[in-house]
Amino acid sequence: MQTKKIFLSESEIPRQWYNVAADMPTPMEPPLHPGTGQPAGPEDFAPIFPMPLLEQEMSQDRFIDIPEAVLEKYLIWRPTPLYRAYDLEKHLDTPAKIYFKNEGVSPAGSHKPNTALAQAYYNKISGTKRLTTETGAGQWGSALSMCCKLFDLECKVYMVKVSYNQKPYRRMMMQTWGAECVPSPSSETAAGRKILEQNPDSPGSLGIAISEAVEAAVQDETTKYSLGSVLNHVLLHQTINGLECQKQLAQTGDYPDVVIGCAGGGSNFAGLAFPFVRDKINGKDIDVIAVEPTSCPTMTRGPFAYDFGDTVQMTPLIAMNTLGHSFVPEPIHAGGLRYHGISPLVSQLLLDNLIRAEAIPQLETFEAGVKFARTEGFISAPETDHAVAVAIREAVKAKEEGKEKVILFNWSGHGLVDMAAYEAYFAGRLQDHALHEDEIQRALADIAPLPKPKQYTGA
Amino acid sequence: MTKKPTVPPDTEKIRCPRLGHQIPFSYCRRENQGLPCFKTADCWHSHFPVVEYLRKELTPEQWKTVFMNRPKQKMLSLLDQIEQAKASKKGK
Repeated sequence: MQTKKIFLSESEIPRQWYNVAADMPTPMEPPLHPGTGQPAGPEDFAPIFPMPLLEQEMSQDRFIDIPEAVLEKYLIWRPTPLYRAYDLEKHLDTPAKIYFKNEGVSPAGSHKPNTALAQAYYNKISGTKRLTTETGAGQWGSALSMCCKLFDLECKVYMVKVSYNQKPYRRMMMQTWGAECVPSPSSETAAGRKILEQNPDSPGSLGIAISEAVEAAVQDETTKYSLGSVLNHVLLHQTINGLECQKQLAQTGDYPDVVIGCAGGGSNFAGLAFPFVRDKINGKDIDVIAVEPTSCPTMTRGPFAYDFGDTVQMTPLIAMNTLGHSFVPEPIHAGGLRYHGISPLVSQLLLDNLIRAEAIPQLETFEAGVKFARTEGFISAPETDHAVAVAIREAVKAKEEGKEKVILFNWSGHGLVDMAAYEAYFAGRLQDHALHEDEIQRALADIAPLPKPKQYTGA
Repeated sequence: MTKKPTVPPDTEKIRCPRLGHQIPFSYCRRENQGLPCFKTADCWHSHFPVVEYLRKELTPEQWKTVFMNRPKQKMLSLLDQIEQAKASKKGK
């Protein structure tokens, strides 16, 4: 009988996170404060983040020890299993070996607790009593709720009211884990009250919920705010996944030719890929692919430039791949992939040609997800389907080339509370969109006058 | 799928990529403090001539507010949010 799942024992769990910033050939360009034009520092963010996380955010240390208390809690679901997708390989009739890392086994069903747990811990030891955050349907809110409870922190989640009313299950998950989940706008913050005064029946928005969560943190010294994507420390915490995977693959004698992850804010992709990027920097020949939708081609077609994160132009300038702040992406049914800009770390690795981006039409992602479910059994989250689709593309290519490639992808979460997207796919209500060149050029014209970083790649 | 020539009813639902679940058209039209969500044109593009519709519904100033002053990314808006919260605290 063939080995389907490759496990690590609990004693083999990695003891450190990997910080790719230490190995990047090009040092990261710092975010610039829009008011001063000077680099934004830890003190700017101190009202909402504890100092250990801000230190990690700026750190150049290659490895950062995972505290023992975090390791103990990681053991609830980690190490996560590495699977060999034999039935998918057979279905595709490919000579490729396909592996996937199953991050859907966490209690919250995705990779998100990898950082939620670490953030809860560092807040706990810094004297924080309560964490706040915002959530829509509740994937991040539920992950943070669970992890706060594990470290005996209070958790307050401002859930957009329309989601609060329509998505009871993740709300109930949060409540089960002891979090206080309130519909936003609430009467508890100035930001919420202002909205309610104008419209008592406001259904809320993510923007309002963020304002409430940040305000609650700023106004109480023992309360901090937590974010689940984009930031360097978030990506750092996710690397435990790729580090585990390297140990698991060593058991098989295989090493990946291709490493794949879907990239929205970047934490999902970074978690699996960054430890392999380190190998690539040190000479390994690996194709590391960040997958994005064709309808929002931030990485595959956007230049590297300083972009204002908002058109009011009051927020820090940060070097990242971007299509410009006036770009309105086409529709895609995978909420996690809709960031206008991706993580600065991921952008810089793209610029240094250490990773590459590939864009996938949404119909192909759902076709892949259904194929995966019907061979390997697991129903993927819609954003996870992007990685599945590229894995299938690479396996088909290996067949055409007659190569026995080793393909590894991050199966970042299950889609069991997201079946409406599949329903729309089966009902034929989804369609593909390609961004026209003139739309891209129009968006890029907007950022032409902005200051350019040293590695600017635009025309 | 072909575009319908008419504006959908307020009750028609599509998946919201920001919130992660199905929401009615009425929400998209009012999400931004009574103005449309900045992704309305994007999300409804394939369903009906939404840009044409919005151009008619909104004043030029509203159009600019919604589609030129886009909501901020989480990461890049944090400092701004902190400053707003500090100002709110001082005003108490």
